[in-house]
Amino acid sequence: MRPFAYDRPDTAAAAVAAVADRPDAAFLGGGTNLVDHLRLGIADPGLLVDVTSLTSTEIVDIDGGLRIGAGVTNADLAADPRVRARLPVLAAALLSGASGQLRNMATTGGNPLQRTRCPYFQDPASACNKRVPGSGCAAIGGATRNHAILGASEHCIATHPSDMAVALAALDTQVRILGPDGGRTLAFTDLHRLPGDTPEQDTELAHGELITAIDVSYPRGRHAYRKVRDRASYAFALVSVAAVLDVVDGTVLDARIALGGVAHTPWRAVRAEDTLRGGPATEEAFAAAAEAELADARPQPGFDGGNAFKIPLARRTLTATLRQTTPRETA
Amino acid sequence: MRIELTVNGVAREADDVWEGESLLYALRERLGLPGSKNACEQGECGSCTVYLDGAPVCACLVAAGQAQGREVTTVEGLAGDGLDPVQQAFVEKGAVQCGFCTPGFLMSTKDLLDRDPAPSDPEIREALAGNLCRCTGYEKILDAVRTAAANR
Amino acid sequence: MTMRTDAPLKTSGAARYGLDVTPPGTVYGYVVTSTIAHGEITAMDVAAVRAAPGVLAVYTPFDPLPLRTPMSPLLGETWVPLQDTEVTYYGQPVGFVVAETFEQARDAALLVEVTYDRRPARTSLHAGLADALDAPPSLHGEPPTLQVLADGVESIEDALAASAVRVDATYETATQNHAAMEPHSAVAVWEDGRLTLYSGTQGSDLQAAQLAQALDVEPARVRALNPFVGGAFGGKGHAGVSAFLGAAAARDLGRPVKAALTREQVFTATATRPATVQRLRIGADADGRLTALAHDSWSSTTATPSFVEPTSHGTSREWYTTPNLAITQKMVPLHVPPTTFMRAPGEAPGSFALESAMDELAVALGMDPVELRLRNSSIAPPGRDLQWSSKHLDECFTLGAQRFGWAQRHRRRVDRDWLVGYGTATAMFPALRFPCAVRITLRPDDTAEVATSGADPGTGLRTVLSLFGAEALAIPPERVEAALGDSTLPPGGMSGGSTATASVGSAIAVGAPAVIDALVAVATGPGGLFEGREVAYADGRVFAEGDSATFGEVLRAAGRDEVTAIGTSAPGEEMTKHSFSSFGAQFCEVRVHRWTREVRMSRMLGVFDAGRIVHEQAARSQIMGGMIWGVSAALHEGLEIEESGRPANGDFASYLIPVNADIPTVDVEFVRYPDTLHNPVGARGLGEISVVGVAAAIANAVYDATGIRVRRIPIVLEDLLE
Repeated sequence: MRPFAYDRPDTAAAAVAAVADRPDAAFLGGGTNLVDHLRLGIADPGLLVDVTSLTSTEIVDIDGGLRIGAGVTNADLAADPRVRARLPVLAAALLSGASGQLRNMATTGGNPLQRTRCPYFQDPASACNKRVPGSGCAAIGGATRNHAILGASEHCIATHPSDMAVALAALDTQVRILGPDGGRTLAFTDLHRLPGDTPEQDTELAHGELITAIDVSYPRGRHAYRKVRDRASYAFALVSVAAVLDVVDGTVLDARIALGGVAHTPWRAVRAEDTLRGGPATEEAFAAAAEAELADARPQPGFDGGNAFKIPLARRTLTATLRQTTPRETA
Repeated sequence: MRIELTVNGVAREADDVWEGESLLYALRERLGLPGSKNACEQGECGSCTVYLDGAPVCACLVAAGQAQGREVTTVEGLAGDGLDPVQQAFVEKGAVQCGFCTPGFLMSTKDLLDRDPAPSDPEIREALAGNLCRCTGYEKILDAVRTAAANR
Repeated sequence: MTMRTDAPLKTSGAARYGLDVTPPGTVYGYVVTSTIAHGEITAMDVAAVRAAPGVLAVYTPFDPLPLRTPMSPLLGETWVPLQDTEVTYYGQPVGFVVAETFEQARDAALLVEVTYDRRPARTSLHAGLADALDAPPSLHGEPPTLQVLADGVESIEDALAASAVRVDATYETATQNHAAMEPHSAVAVWEDGRLTLYSGTQGSDLQAAQLAQALDVEPARVRALNPFVGGAFGGKGHAGVSAFLGAAAARDLGRPVKAALTREQVFTATATRPATVQRLRIGADADGRLTALAHDSWSSTTATPSFVEPTSHGTSREWYTTPNLAITQKMVPLHVPPTTFMRAPGEAPGSFALESAMDELAVALGMDPVELRLRNSSIAPPGRDLQWSSKHLDECFTLGAQRFGWAQRHRRRVDRDWLVGYGTATAMFPALRFPCAVRITLRPDDTAEVATSGADPGTGLRTVLSLFGAEALAIPPERVEAALGDSTLPPGGMSGGSTATASVGSAIAVGAPAVIDALVAVATGPGGLFEGREVAYADGRVFAEGDSATFGEVLRAAGRDEVTAIGTSAPGEEMTKHSFSSFGAQFCEVRVHRWTREVRMSRMLGVFDAGRIVHEQAARSQIMGGMIWGVSAALHEGLEIEESGRPANGDFASYLIPVNADIPTVDVEFVRYPDTLHNPVGARGLGEISVVGVAAAIANAVYDATGIRVRRIPIVLEDLLE
């Protein structure tokens, strides 16, 4: 771990100013990702600004939804009665992520900003455009089982690891941000970026900008979160699906769907939603929605057999999850 | 820096701590509490689980600086006059093998039972998913958790 | 039942493992590893490392710590680091940085610049199959290629061709790492030219001997301590790089050195179970009796060949009655991390192939897989005269089938979105024991001590020592203290090969009468409590006519601090009379998701014939742990080596082993037939047999559920997506 300076300012504004001042400064939240990165030698900040106690740890009611302070832990958020009752897709996503210990540490502001678990990104000895722009991508042709099938570029095929973010992407979510020049709000689905030719930039946040809260609206409909993984618990998603389907008299009035484990971002499944909206909530419609969403999916070959299987798997998982949201017994 | 924190109910301090070192390192190497174990240093195995302000966390992922002024409980602090019922149940059911994961399992179990005095088997299995046991004594551990729940 | 004597220490955090001691003045070492798989180190720039804060020393092949290669009869040669510039695998230790704190050492180690002359690396087992080499002779000294053919049969091919039903299939198993929770580590302290080494290994006397040779000091000047070991599974047989480098650096610097591998380093800088490819050809008559069995195995091994996974010799060589048997064992040298024995070496991956093939045969025959196994049960290994000493495999299968509800397997089983399947397999593991010495001491306070240098890596040996001592001395176990994990105690050898219980039990059976004789001599000798009288020992007391005293009273009366005797034992004449093995029947039920194809365990049962069961709780824990290892092999773990030689998943985030949520109810039963032909206490080992067969039983259950035969483990869900 390289030596660095450590600061614990008294206010969020002071923290923002401190980070904005130094190009090599970084915010430290729950630390579950960054502390690991410091140790692996893949993050090398000159100054760490601890914000764990600077943002709100409250979940407050706002019109039609909740404002979740950035300091609220994943464990507290998942246990909140309002979240469990009105945002079950979020509660389920949170509880399927990481372990109890990590959910006690991870925060609302930090979780969506965690970086990819691509093993080449995490290995300083491997080429990685995200870690060292221009150095190449060792993942391409490597072990690609956990890599992207949607929206990847020739520079980066990494996936976003968060479960919480998949649920937030499906919901109507706004991110409240404090920057050196004041506050702004960003739609959650605009927070993350596809890699393109600048994979080093995970999000649209500028240096020094800090997430202070996340606003989520209560959707109408039935919720489901389904995570397909190699262990029954505590493993990253091969594919995950968050879905909220509002079905009245057999017709889909609204659909909110996002996929995890398939792209550089939590992947809002707009095509699937468009396919479903206004149509019948049937097995055929679900299959058509999945087909539409995965139409542009591209497999990554790899020495481990590659990830072509994730395309049918994503289709099946999407269909199975939609089935779960409809008010009838599964077959 | 100097860090001051409360460990197992006792005010402790350590000098010349580098803020970036882990709470686990500070506990084991600076404060003489080697009960918490380092098995992956990545938050993946739970062997280093301690309570930080009452919630179980992986001490390997807490930067020592973040622990400043906070309250920590380790496996050494679980027992009062006698073994805690959770420890007692692990002894009774033989839910230890090599024992390296045991401190972490005890902390997670105690937290589970504090939150839910009568968890179902699937709830126990899920709640302990952040603790790896390579001797894979999961059945005996499950027995012990059930026993601890019944004895509390 | 006596509780595990280690449990109170392990649950209170008081058990001290190797890395838990911090002598005053301790400094910290960090190992630097290679980032190529094959080549020569031409230079190492360590100027920045030396200048980094807190750094005390940097050792490299250009500035090494002198270490000699130790050689032991049991383990052969043990590799010592930094003695040359040759790199033969990715992640090989190539440097060692020592600093005042661990973080300083790690930080400085990141600054090491290594220049390599890179050479092409051979890393693919598949690519090497064509020009594989013959493996060295097996543990029994049998050649890598051997055949047993019935009279008049010219070749195994002829026997197969003449068989009514045939199976011919090739199976693959992954490279694995022992992944004990305790990473390999050491704390080394020198005082007056004597080394004390705290380090978890499978045998403290073996560790001390290796260190003494490596450091070129008298064996008596090295004391190795490992009272608690955080798991081993074969991966802590050889002394490790932390021990060698820590001890040598501590001597060089005159400070205690603490060194531990990181989890990532454990995956390359210790050792692994080799990957295997195995072709099984089985012929049977229409009644399911084997007529021919051919098992060809290929194992990965290191660039300079070392350990080879003996899959053919470990299974098909011995398991079934067949008039015609042909086995081969080949090896493919690769630039991969060291290979060594890991829980059930040979039997674990070998049984995946053999027992999958037997299932395929049962399917081809339309026969109950349990019945097929019963029909081919052997009374001795094919072509050998020595019959099994005590074999109750049939009872394991019949009892298990009944208990598991095996007869229900034909019902179409779908549970909501899950397809349900049943599978079974045979388990066998040879009953072995090693030379062993145990010291028994009687003390004036009416307690006894049973002491040996051997290790308890979680198996329960500490408790077993107390129990055997109590039994042999006829006193309560609470009065028998066990001492182990200290190389200054009588040599207990290695805790490996499922031998420890039989080995120490045999030695105690010799030592206890000897210490009782010594006690009697004290009682009846000059100044003794019963001087000159006829006495007898029973239940902790010495009886003279009309009189008796506890052994403590006898010792106190004679002014003695203790009487002591050392019992030794080793395998002997019994080996010329019988073949020895433990046996078991594995059953499991799996669920495969009908849409997304995850495989989850829902039920497991193992029934074992492992001789006498000494401590029920510890025995069951060992067995369940082994069965779950089988789940792990079948569904989770495998170290993937990239073309470059780099491990793709060498950490706990990506090398998956089961968590609690993966494991269903595990049911264990024993048939209890003490095997006193093998050793006086009648116990055979059970640490390893429990993993054997499980992966096949799971693959067979997956086939039962889905109709898809997966011949490679770990099974991943894409194998089941049509």
